[in-house]
Amino acid sequence: MRRIRTLITKEFLDLARNRTALLPVVIVTVLSLVLPFGIAVGVPAMTGHGLGEDADLLRVSVAVGSGEALSSDARIQLFLFQQFLMLFLLTPITGAMALAAHAIVGEKQARTLEPLLATPITTFELLAAKVFGALIPTLAISLAGLALYFAGILAFALPGVAAAMASARTLMLVVLVAPAAALVSLQSAILISSRANDPRTAQQFGVLIIIPLAGVLVAQFTGSLWLSAAALGLLGLGLLGVWLLLTLLSVAVFDREAILTRWR
Amino acid sequence: MIAATRLTRRFGSRTVVNDITFAVSRSEIVALLGPNGAGKTTTLRMLAGLIAPTSGSVAIDGVQLTKAAGTSLRRRIGFLTEAPGLWDRLTVRENLRIYAGLYDLAHAEQTIDRALEMFELTDCRSARAAELSKGMRQKVALARALLHDPAILLLDEPSSGLDPEVMRMVRRLLEERRAAGCSILVSTHNLDEAERLADRVAVLHERLLAIDRPSALRQRLTTGRLIVRVSGDPSSYIETVRALGPGFTDPAIEGAALILRVADLDRQAPALVAALVAGGARILEVRAEIPALEDVYLHLVGETSEVRSQKSEV
Repeated sequence: MRRIRTLITKEFLDLARNRTALLPVVIVTVLSLVLPFGIAVGVPAMTGHGLGEDADLLRVSVAVGSGEALSSDARIQLFLFQQFLMLFLLTPITGAMALAAHAIVGEKQARTLEPLLATPITTFELLAAKVFGALIPTLAISLAGLALYFAGILAFALPGVAAAMASARTLMLVVLVAPAAALVSLQSAILISSRANDPRTAQQFGVLIIIPLAGVLVAQFTGSLWLSAAALGLLGLGLLGVWLLLTLLSVAVFDREAILTRWR
Repeated sequence: MIAATRLTRRFGSRTVVNDITFAVSRSEIVALLGPNGAGKTTTLRMLAGLIAPTSGSVAIDGVQLTKAAGTSLRRRIGFLTEAPGLWDRLTVRENLRIYAGLYDLAHAEQTIDRALEMFELTDCRSARAAELSKGMRQKVALARALLHDPAILLLDEPSSGLDPEVMRMVRRLLEERRAAGCSILVSTHNLDEAERLADRVAVLHERLLAIDRPSALRQRLTTGRLIVRVSGDPSSYIETVRALGPGFTDPAIEGAALILRVADLDRQAPALVAALVAGGARILEVRAEIPALEDVYLHLVGETSEVRSQKSEV
């Protein structure tokens, strides 16, 4: 455990001296903040038309269920804020992908991997440190953004929306689904990073994780899929299971010899 | 002690290290010599447990270096890799601190302070690795390899990028480590360094061509030439040498010295001296020509290359 902590410290020090590496995460977080407030608060205010005037939005917003006591405008706002919450929590992962994709192949290219592998560090410790080294700063930025997101809802949303957002569903998204999805995607990137011999290849493969996530988001927006708190809980647990499998797979396929002798 | 037994490593159809057996004892420095591509780095990597041999084995203090035992055995090894491999954005101290953590060192900060002092790096402890010169980077990498006080040191080209003054300091440090009981294997191209530092020299060129004390290796390739400096004209003693018989060949004059070739230095040199003195010579110096380690190395490696090229022609 101490070796994992030590190597995570190294990752943080490295990031602290190369803050631009976190810029994509910050940009995505800021965009994910601007977009929902622009749509749910800004557009109705600018056009003078309430959200409830849109028949399609009115229809799909029924899915939120708990918002039955709310006005139609507020219910649609709740629906949009719930949808964007998922986007908000998941998209920063794509920004962190560069960190994870660079994790192993970057060390190899900098020729820092061989002395590292000569220490008593195990493959599991190395890979775990690399995943959490990318995950922790990403989540920290996401959580800071999340605080702003809820502060914005408190300040700008219609009455009752903020209270309705404080639900089991939100909790599941924030504490389970988002970190689990982040772990799955970052672990995938690390796995690819330890098999590819070029960070660009690893990053391109790693970003593919966005496809199923985008599918879930689109399905939710069209109203054809609405994941309840329980479903999100199951999804989160499933993602954690996938992460564990990916971790075992990463350790199994991490070939020290090939990395040291065949990569150039 | 670290021992390699019949160590072989192939990459595909290419054999890089072929059936080498040797050991480095406690309090011993062995220099590993060989041309580029001779298998030195591969050998060091196998000894460090970074890559597995195709066949053969490595044992550290009698314990076989297997994948399962590798993690704990690596604690006993300090490995200086071919490239310093420092994290460029981290300072010198941070680089060392991370490795102190990876080795679970109990008094990390004091150990780091000592290492910085030992390698005269204290002044640049807060400099980022990227800002260091090549020699300074090599010094930090050496400090890192010694940080956990390993019983076995594997050093791949430690003198690379170091100026003579620093090299002398490194030599002194390695001698201290040897005195403390460390087994040290140094891969190098620097024959002078090998001769000054090593108790034994191993010449590698895919196979282990020779391993012995530098002086013994030189003797193995002795030319058998005797150089005798006499007072007066040495040419007047040519006939005396010829009269000694067929064992004393090719007598010649080089400057003020009489040069000749003998088959058995130990037996024939006293006989020659006795004959010359009996012939009235006043002998100023008798010296056997000893080849430099470089000659021995080139001879051994050249022989192998010749055999290889003959094989490939066939």
